[in-house]
Amino acid sequence: MPRLTVLLFLSFATLAGSVWGFTTPARAGGIAFIINSGGASISVIDMARQKEVRRIPTLREPHHLALSPDGHSLLVGDTAGNQMMFLDPNTGEVQKRMPVADPYQLWFSPDGKYLTVNGLARNQVDVYDAASMQLVKRFHVVATPSHLAYSPDSSTVFVSLQDSDKLAAFDLRTMTEKWTMPVGKTPAGVIWLNGKVLVADMGTDYIAVVDPADGKVLEHVPTGKGAHQLFLSPDRKILWVNNRAGGTTVSLDAATLQPIRSYAIPGGPDDMDFAPGGKIWITRRWAEKVAVLDPATGSYETIDVGRSPHGLFLNPKAPSPTVLSSR
Amino acid sequence: MDDPFDLAAGWLQEHLLIPALYQFGLMNWEDVSYGWALFALYGVAQVVVTFAVCLPLERWRPVERWPDSGAVWVDVAYTVLSRVGILPFVTYVLFYRAQVVVSGWMADQGVVPPTLEGLFPFLLGQQVLTFVLYAIILDFAEYWRHRLSHMFRWWWALHSLHHAQRQMTFWSDDRNHLGDDLIAFVWFGVIALLIGVPPLQFPILVLVLRFLESLSHANVRLSFGWLGERLLISPRFHRAHHGVLAAGERSCNYGAVFPWWDMLFRTADFSRAYVRTGDPSGEEALATGTWLQQQMAGLRRFARSFGRRTVRHGT
Repeated sequence: MPRLTVLLFLSFATLAGSVWGFTTPARAGGIAFIINSGGASISVIDMARQKEVRRIPTLREPHHLALSPDGHSLLVGDTAGNQMMFLDPNTGEVQKRMPVADPYQLWFSPDGKYLTVNGLARNQVDVYDAASMQLVKRFHVVATPSHLAYSPDSSTVFVSLQDSDKLAAFDLRTMTEKWTMPVGKTPAGVIWLNGKVLVADMGTDYIAVVDPADGKVLEHVPTGKGAHQLFLSPDRKILWVNNRAGGTTVSLDAATLQPIRSYAIPGGPDDMDFAPGGKIWITRRWAEKVAVLDPATGSYETIDVGRSPHGLFLNPKAPSPTVLSSR
Repeated sequence: MDDPFDLAAGWLQEHLLIPALYQFGLMNWEDVSYGWALFALYGVAQVVVTFAVCLPLERWRPVERWPDSGAVWVDVAYTVLSRVGILPFVTYVLFYRAQVVVSGWMADQGVVPPTLEGLFPFLLGQQVLTFVLYAIILDFAEYWRHRLSHMFRWWWALHSLHHAQRQMTFWSDDRNHLGDDLIAFVWFGVIALLIGVPPLQFPILVLVLRFLESLSHANVRLSFGWLGERLLISPRFHRAHHGVLAAGERSCNYGAVFPWWDMLFRTADFSRAYVRTGDPSGEEALATGTWLQQQMAGLRRFARSFGRRTVRHGT
C-alpha cells in the first residue's frame, strides 16, 4: 500500500515541522482556498509561490464558498456532509461548523442582509438571515437548483434549475416566487449584467440573455460547447465564460457581449477568481489542478490540488500561508 | 502528486463521457459521470490485482483440480458485471438518488443525517483511523446481513445461488442473485444513513478490502496461521462456510474480512480444512447454469420458499 507509506511519511514530516519549527519571517503573499469537492478537503495555496501548503479536511463533499459581508468568515458549503464550515479568510483556521441541509451554491445578497443557499440534491432554495444564520424561507423547486445571482438592489435572487431547463426568480422583499421560466438546456451559471440576467446553458453552446422582469429569453450569445460559468472582471469590462464540454475559457466585451478571445483550458474549466496583476485562477474539475491564466499571452501555469477542484477564493492581502503553517 | 486513477477518470470524462452526454442532451449527469468513471476504474483495478495475485496462488496450491472448469466462467461474468458495470451504475445513479430522497426527507423533518466524524470530530483529517473504524463497523453490519441471509428461508433461497458453486474460485465472491444484491444495497444504504459512508475518500483501502474478500473464496490451500486466521479471514476459514455441510441456516464463518464477529457470536469454526463446496439442496441450474438460468432458478426457489414444502435447508 504505497499510499499508506506516503501518508505516514507526510504525517511524520508534518510532525517534524511542528517540533523543530521554522523561523521564516512573516511576509505578505496571499492565500488561496481551492475546494476539492471529490476529495473532501480544501487546498490552502500560497499565492506568491503558487504551491499548495496544506489541506483542510471537510466532512464529505464541499463545492462552493462565499465571503461573509463583514469579511471575517469564509463560508464553505459541504453538501453531502450537511454542514457549513466557517473559515478565517486570512489563515484558513476553522472558526465553526454548523448543520445546514445540502449547501451547494451560496452567496450573500449585495446589501448583506441575506444568504441564499441552493440545495441542489434536495430541490430547495433556502434564504437565511445573514446576521443570525436563521432560516427565513425555504422555496421548494423543481429541479436541482444550481447557481444563483442577485439583482443589484438585493430585491430578487435568480436561481438556475438545472434539470428542468428553467430559471426561477424569488422576491426577497415578500419572500415569494416571481416567476419560473424556460431558458435553455441545463442552465448553470447566472449573473446580473447591465440590467439583464445572463444564464449559461450547459446543454448548449450559448448563454441566454433574460429579461429580469418576466424571465423571457431576449437573445442567445454563442460562447462554446457546454457553457457553464460566468464571471465579471474586477473592472467590469470583460465577461468570462467557462465552457465545460468545449474545454475553453472565453472573454466577451461586457458591454456588447461580442467575443474577444478564446483560451483552451482542458480538464473541465469551472470556477474562477481574479488575482492582482490580471491573472485568472480557474479550477479544472477533472485534472486535479488549478490553471493560472495570463490573458495577455494565453499561456497558463498549473497548481496541483485535490480531486475535482470546484469553488475557489483568492485573498491576496492575507499573509503567506507558508509562514503560518510553519510556525 | 497526481493520482493515476483520478487522471484516468478525468481523461475518460473529458474525451468520452462529456462528449457523449453533450451529444445526447444529458449534461445534467456530468458530475455523476465522473464519479461513475472513478468507480469503474477502481473496479477494473480490483479485478486486475485480484487476478494477478489469486490466479498464481490457485495454480500453485489448488484445493481441487477440475477436468472441466466451465462453471467458473459464469463467475467471471458476475465479477465483471459487479465491479465494472452494475455496481458503479447502481452506486452512482440509483443508490445516490435514493439516498438524496431519503436524506432530504429526513432534513425536512429537522433531522440531519449523522456521520461518524460529526459524532467524533477528532476523526476529521485522520484518514486511516477513520477508514479503519468505518471498515470495522461495515464489516460488523455485513456479518449480520450475511447471517440473516442464511436464517430466513426466502432470503436463503436467493443467497443459495452464491453457495451453489462447486468449483469455487476467487471469481466467486460476486456470484450473487440480483435480489440478494438489491437487499445488500438497501442494507448498505441504511447503514450509510446512520453513520455516513464516504466511499471515494478511501478508494485504495476499499480496493484492499475487496481483494481480501475475493482471496477468501480462492481455490487455494492457504492458511494465515493460528494468529493470522483470527485477525483476517483466510481462504481456509471462508471455505468452511461454503462447505456442503454448511449450506443453509446452520452455517458457520459468516464474516467477510474480520473473523472477530464469528468469534464473538460463537459461529466461528477453525477446525474444518479445505472442504468440498456447494449446496446439494439446490437445483443443478444454480450451480452450472448460465447467468440467466442461475438467476431464474434463484427466483423459482425464492417463490417456492413461501410454500409449505419448499426449500430444503442444508444438512
